[in-house]
Amino acid sequence: MKKVININFQGQVIAIEETAYEMLKQYIERLTRFFAREEGGDEIVNDIECRIAELFGNRLKHGINCITDEDVASIITSIGQPEDFDSDYEEAASEPGAAFAESREQGSAAAPGDEVRRSLYRNSGDRILGGVCSGLAHYFRTDPVWLRMIFVLFFGFLFWVYIVLWIVLKPKVLETNVSKRLYRNPNDRFLGGVCGGIAAYFKIDSWIPRLIFLLPLLFNLIGMISFFPLNYLFDEVDFSWNINMSMVVVYIVFWIIIPEAKSVKQKLEMMGEEEYIRSIRERVSNNVATARSRGDGGEVPPAVPAYMAAGTDDSFEKVSIDEMPPHPSDAARPADHSASANRAHVAPPSERPGCLNGFILLLKIIFFSFVGILALVMVSAFVAFLFAGAQMMPLKSLFIDPGQETTLLYASLILLIGIPVVSILVWIARRVMKAKSRPMIGLISTILWIGGLVAAGILAAQVADKFREESTLERSVEMMPIDGKSLYVDMMPYQDDYSEFSIGWGMDSDIDHLPYTNVNEDSLLFRDIHLHIRNSNDSLFHVRTIAASSCRELRGAKADLEEFRFEITQQDSLLYLPEFLMVPSTQGFRKQSITVEISVPAGKTVEVSDVLNNYRNQEPPSVVRRRIRNYTRTFMTAEPPHLEDEESEAGSDVV
Amino acid sequence: MNIENTQSQMRKGVLEYCILSIIKRGEAYPGDIIDEMKSAGLQLLEGTLYPLLNRLKNAEILTYRWVESTSGPPRKYFQLTEKGEAFQALLATTWNELATGVELVTRKPKEESELNNNTI
Repeated sequence: MKKVININFQGQVIAIEETAYEMLKQYIERLTRFFAREEGGDEIVNDIECRIAELFGNRLKHGINCITDEDVASIITSIGQPEDFDSDYEEAASEPGAAFAESREQGSAAAPGDEVRRSLYRNSGDRILGGVCSGLAHYFRTDPVWLRMIFVLFFGFLFWVYIVLWIVLKPKVLETNVSKRLYRNPNDRFLGGVCGGIAAYFKIDSWIPRLIFLLPLLFNLIGMISFFPLNYLFDEVDFSWNINMSMVVVYIVFWIIIPEAKSVKQKLEMMGEEEYIRSIRERVSNNVATARSRGDGGEVPPAVPAYMAAGTDDSFEKVSIDEMPPHPSDAARPADHSASANRAHVAPPSERPGCLNGFILLLKIIFFSFVGILALVMVSAFVAFLFAGAQMMPLKSLFIDPGQETTLLYASLILLIGIPVVSILVWIARRVMKAKSRPMIGLISTILWIGGLVAAGILAAQVADKFREESTLERSVEMMPIDGKSLYVDMMPYQDDYSEFSIGWGMDSDIDHLPYTNVNEDSLLFRDIHLHIRNSNDSLFHVRTIAASSCRELRGAKADLEEFRFEITQQDSLLYLPEFLMVPSTQGFRKQSITVEISVPAGKTVEVSDVLNNYRNQEPPSVVRRRIRNYTRTFMTAEPPHLEDEESEAGSDVV
Repeated sequence: MNIENTQSQMRKGVLEYCILSIIKRGEAYPGDIIDEMKSAGLQLLEGTLYPLLNRLKNAEILTYRWVESTSGPPRKYFQLTEKGEAFQALLATTWNELATGVELVTRKPKEESELNNNTI
């Protein structure tokens, strides 16, 4: 009769006879002592343990209830007693080249046991560059990440220290001697898993470090939108791009110096054993639940947690890990002591990238940061467009007719601006929720966006079409005969209030031709008034108005021109021009203008008030100029009169 | 003269060559190597294999990656590095020279060798 105990051996729960366990324990102790002299001795012992665990597993699979003395004995024979391979080792050590001679030298020079581990090496098993930090961390029994951080922070003078240590120290694969380490978490990652790893290390939710990294960025975006109503709150704080960029740099540095948790062991170190087991248990039970429900109804029930559905893409990779039975904490099983102690220094050295991989990583980082900056710029451009669009809205009535064109405008605005903004938000939400992207949605939104582009194009063509034909309308103003030598021209100021079409940003001052609206908003008030003075063909003053407007077709333009209101009034020798040209607001902006042509007979002068200076200096539109030129060509051979600022001396040149 | 010692000396010389040749054909984990050696009738103490692999790895002749296993702890799958390829090739030429040499020396007919001795 023998007592059977359960041991946790290399992550496997194994039922073993107590005597067999004692035998195994002694054997492993002998192996450990034997290989202590050799470089990487722990690793060798661990390899052998793995092999034994596998052989046990095979035996147990064949229906045997527990591992017996005989099983252990046969395994030990097949592996061999340490003294049996003693002689092999001594001589083999010097064979495969100089490197081995060196290792032997180290083995014999260093005192056995703990002392070996306490000497300073470069850790070639866990390195970013030369493994100096990792080796130092091993020496001080800390997480290499902290030392790397110190070296990055004090790069200036520690650089040379690093180089010297790199040259001086010998490389050696060292096992981790800390139980908890900061890793990047591949199962909870947005970019590199840095925040996920930090969250796992401090046992907090991963959105907290993420928020900390993103906070300056968010404030910055708010700061960028200058019309944000609460902006004055942040006036005192300088959320400059520097802070922002330094956050990005910090993230990238973390990405480089923190290794990714790849193996089970590393994930254990990252989360702490209990946390990790709990997460595995959750996932396994969820997997089981999902599998069961799939079996029942053939469909995933809506009750499946979101992260489960989200994790489907990489769950296959995890299955093998998950299938390993979770083992309870070692402290509860004193019988397992030696096995677990050995297991503790099994650190499968992370397969750290070599030079090439480092370069690829660098490229990736550069690529991602470019893409990130690009995306940021795009988003802010869209936001800016959104606000600019809102600022432009008052101008809409000038260019866009109600009805079909307005519909087109809103449709194109919503599609062009709304879809990218919504899809960027959805993308971010999906990344945060880790939901799987659906290509169909992307396709549809792309098509819709192109539709918006087409709508905007059609609208632009329609608007441009309104300025295709230019038409003019001449009217002569009835003049009372003037007694004096001069005609005085003055402006009749507009009597009522009027409002401007403002487009914000103080740009309205640059756009002279934008009209004003009157109080009732039924008329547009244009300032496009030109004053043209020429010689008269007879002995009388003549005043004509030439109205100009553009439209899709000439007939429409003519109809518009009929609606112009520009009433010139005469009081003896005083001629009053209205301040504005009035046009019904239904016409919209069609480059409406009016030219007042005054013909001055020989020997008479015209005096123009200085408020009208602007009118005289402005060139009439080209159609009107063409008209005037045709007009004057017939009658004039001499140069046109030069018009001084205040008066024109006409007549003398006329033949 | 201990016969076992001599035997083990002879085996040991070719052990590395055999292991490297097995790994050269494709990634292998220690269990594979042992099975293959045993099926070829080459007696190999497993306890010898692990330190040997470890030393070859330290000499950058081998590298390995971890592969999760469904039937036990994760396994180390070994493969040759570039240096290892060269190393194995050198061993191969040495072995071929040795094999033909040994063949010639040991299989030489008795008369001929006596004849040679006589002529000298």
